[in-house]
Amino acid sequence: MSERPAPTARGHHDMTESVGSVRAVRAFLWSRRRARPSLLDRYVTGFGLAMLAAVFGTPVTSTLEGLNLQIDPSRTGAGVALVALALAGFLATARAAGPVLLPSPDASWLLLSPLNRRQLLGPTGRMLVLVAVMAGALLGLGLVMALGAPDPIVWRVLGALALGVSAAVGGMALAVLGQASQSWQVWLTVVTAALMALAVLAVSGRLRTVLALAANAPLPAVTAAASGAAAVAAFLVGRAWVALDRIPTRALVTASTRGGHVANAAVVLDPGALTWIAEDNHWRARRLTSRRWPALPAPLALAWQDWRRLGRRPGRLAAMFALAALPAVLAQAGGPPPVLGGAVLAGALAVAVTGTSGARRDGDNPALARLIGVGHRQALAARAILPALLGGAWATLALVWVSVLTGAFSGTWWWLGLPVAPALAAAALRMAGRSPVDHSAPVLDTPGGPVPTGPLIWAFTGIDLALIGCLPAVAALFSAPARPGTFLAVQAVAGALVLAGYLWRARPRTAQETVTGPATKGTAQAT
Amino acid sequence: MSARNPCAPAGISGYARTVQDSIISIDRLTVELGGNPVLRDMRLTVSQGEIVAVIGPNGCGKSTLLRCLAGLQPVTSGEVLVFGRPPADDTAFWRRVSLLGDDPAWYPGLTAREHLELMSTVHARPRMAVEAALEVFALVERADAPPLNLSTGQRQRLCLAAALLRPSSLLLLDEPERGLDVGFRARLAGLLHEYTAEGGTVVLATHDQDLASHARQVSPSGATAA
Repeated sequence: MSERPAPTARGHHDMTESVGSVRAVRAFLWSRRRARPSLLDRYVTGFGLAMLAAVFGTPVTSTLEGLNLQIDPSRTGAGVALVALALAGFLATARAAGPVLLPSPDASWLLLSPLNRRQLLGPTGRMLVLVAVMAGALLGLGLVMALGAPDPIVWRVLGALALGVSAAVGGMALAVLGQASQSWQVWLTVVTAALMALAVLAVSGRLRTVLALAANAPLPAVTAAASGAAAVAAFLVGRAWVALDRIPTRALVTASTRGGHVANAAVVLDPGALTWIAEDNHWRARRLTSRRWPALPAPLALAWQDWRRLGRRPGRLAAMFALAALPAVLAQAGGPPPVLGGAVLAGALAVAVTGTSGARRDGDNPALARLIGVGHRQALAARAILPALLGGAWATLALVWVSVLTGAFSGTWWWLGLPVAPALAAAALRMAGRSPVDHSAPVLDTPGGPVPTGPLIWAFTGIDLALIGCLPAVAALFSAPARPGTFLAVQAVAGALVLAGYLWRARPRTAQETVTGPATKGTAQAT
Repeated sequence: MSARNPCAPAGISGYARTVQDSIISIDRLTVELGGNPVLRDMRLTVSQGEIVAVIGPNGCGKSTLLRCLAGLQPVTSGEVLVFGRPPADDTAFWRRVSLLGDDPAWYPGLTAREHLELMSTVHARPRMAVEAALEVFALVERADAPPLNLSTGQRQRLCLAAALLRPSSLLLLDEPERGLDVGFRARLAGLLHEYTAEGGTVVLATHDQDLASHARQVSPSGATAA
């Protein structure tokens, strides 16, 4: 009955034949999977894709139709800057992810074997191209929306799409090459830096003439540019394909393990675990030198760790504050006041959250907090200082940028960062202390489909406090009054009240509530 | 070390007297996890200055008992008193009790030495200086490493250093020998004796017979070793 060949004198030869046959290995694994996709599964997938096309088809079509509008030349620079920043972010993400990685089991069992490396990594390569094409299409759309389309829209859109896809695919190929060799890594850094510089130049208005020329370029020029970009992208893809089997195994294993953790975190829907993974990966790779701990009162001494961590990542701090210019770029690109206000507060909250790692660790696994023995409320109060300072400073800087670049929100508005700071700190600490997603929470049946309340509640925990605490500021940013003094005063009271109320109501998670947290995070830490 | 049987029935007046004199007193403790009784009618008293080793096979309830003593595990029935009152997972309790369980969530971006410095700064009168702790726990050469970059045994030594550096009256240790080499296990017994000589009390769950031989041994299942 067994189909396995009996050991023979040709055994060695058989083995040699099987080595390199990635297809045979994959077929073997595929045949032993518990659930193979049935015809019904394929139908459901196809139907889902058709539905997506139907749902998003209309907005995309109407967007394309709307593109025929003339774009205000003063806004072109900001729009192009946003596209350049998006591409730089895409390259940075690709680099951080690997980008070439395998599912964790494949990395453990197939990578460390004599199988043909390029064949093994082939599916990953195709997936990367697909991701890059999709990202590139979005970039292309962004580009055409930034530059406008004065004449036959279809050709302009096609040209922009070709440019966007070429840039993203070429960038992804560059990231793959960077994984294989250090010299390409340098090129990737240069391209990312060049994109950042392009964004700065575009915002500063120095590229106005160039951008005006690009926006009104004749169709042959557009075709030539798109063809050139496609040729460069094809060259890079070819080099990347050749380089696939030169990527060091160590780099692949690291990327695959990281990817495995990320996938696990995504499967159990515990986005908090992603932060743990990112933090641990970063600090494990750093060489640190111990410094004496300052003699502070106990709660402040405990909170000092967040300050020290911040000081150890000056580049990250600088990048965060450089990004304070983003709302201004958004304003220049024509973003309405509500979008602008939302960007300022969301950015300030995101920056405030970076100063709450200690509270998040103690919330998820309070073992060290118990050893330290500082009162929960006192610890939180001390830990609120840094996120308040970060969030408030970022909001102030963002508003200064907006007023410098667009003239809006000047004068008294600059002080808005100060009264929103306490509310942002409370919101950041609430986010840091939230429990993992509760998957037992009920699922709501809505006309748009089932909505699981667990992830929803998790996502809004913290944002709710920010919205309540920053309500006067939100109202002020939305209505943009000429004299916002009253709003600022009310905001100061609201911010202080929200922080005081949060600290008053704060209680540590019980031992039962923390069971899920460390268990999930332990996987990330054990590596 | 005393080898009295902790499971021996005690009279009501005897129990009341024991409660007054003891650091820990457990009476008829029953804990069920998922419907399974893990601890049943357990009694135990621990006096100041004692080292008590909770021993037994895997799954007999050693860690559950320690969690009950730390106020982290609700009891099904019975009474657990630590310092004369039910243990509570609050700051006042943790100022007197030092717990070593699984690998804690180390603070990112801090070195091993800085974790100990933090512990030393937060507690007004630490039991030993950071430098001394690094020496005692053989971590001097790895003092600048983030804890996650330490080996399992080194991380365990760092945990023990943190737990023994800070002042406390009661030390609860769950398998402190985990990952430690033979040499350090022997030194650990000496460190625990030093702790109790200063008036502290130790309850540890362990599989290490040598370590347990330095303590009064009790078994959650009711049987008491010599």
